[in-house]
Amino acid sequence: MIVAEQKTIDEVKTLLADARKVLVIGCGTCVTVCFAGGSREAAILACSLRMASQLEGHARDITDVTVQRQCEWEYLDQAADQIKDAEVILSLGCGVGVQAIAERFPNAWVVPGLNTKFMGLPTEQGVWAERCAACGDCVLGLTGGVCPIARCSKSLLNGPCGGSEGGHCEIDPDTPCGWQLIYDRMEKLGKLELLMDVQPPKNWQKARDGGPRKIVREDLKLHHEE
Amino acid sequence: MNSDSTLIVAFCCEHCAYAAADLAGGLRMQYPSGIRIVMLPCTGKADPLLLLRTFEEGADGIMVAG
Ligand code: SF4
Repeated sequence: MIVAEQKTIDEVKTLLADARKVLVIGCGTCVTVCFAGGSREAAILACSLRMASQLEGHARDITDVTVQRQCEWEYLDQAADQIKDAEVILSLGCGVGVQAIAERFPNAWVVPGLNTKFMGLPTEQGVWAERCAACGDCVLGLTGGVCPIARCSKSLLNGPCGGSEGGHCEIDPDTPCGWQLIYDRMEKLGKLELLMDVQPPKNWQKARDGGPRKIVREDLKLHHEE
Repeated sequence: MNSDSTLIVAFCCEHCAYAAADLAGGLRMQYPSGIRIVMLPCTGKADPLLLLRTFEEGADGIMVAG
């Protein structure tokens, strides 16, 4: 899932400036399950902002709505009337959701209520950890299903480095060394010899370094008759 | 603000605190008129949004009893 966390209420208030009519939009997918921007968080934030505006002596009209997925225009269209009616849209979607709103509604002023952090998973109740860096050319088949790009601080392909100590990364004693995890797992699976192959430099053009990415599936496109 | 105009909303669990309030009523015990008792099936239902909305609607204080 995409993992995000809410901005502080002070930052949100700055983003809203002096708007009188605000629509808080939650998203029913990734940010719902990481408790950052679902219907519950949207309703709580809208209520908190209404009370804050009352306390500050300039009551604002702040409502909330949640769509199933902000990253698809079809779902956003269901809230089109409310979006067009608001002075500021406060999106509690990830960065994709914010941009989907901006693209679909060219006249809407949309601001982010979340900081989008990473792609990851919950490791225990209340804890989420990064697992994938979307490098565009998956190497998990070489490393026993533990990602050296996302889980090694230096994204090394032939680790570990000399900073690995007692299973922890030199950047922080709370961060497990990604390469130690890889090594331990490969050892357990009896596949250590696979790590003897030295991996050549990775083609980072397939990652963000190659610029914005796009996938085109001709088999799925709708081809209209000429 | 006196105790009569102070609005306190008491969210009470159906199985204990609400039954206690019922008993207090049966015994004709007095409590300030500004206290409003709301029965919940369980105080686990007293989620943040319910509490915030209660303040937003004008409550001066909230009591969660269960
Ligand atoms: S200590 Fe481990 S995780 Fe940290 S940079 Fe070195 S190899 Fe990567």
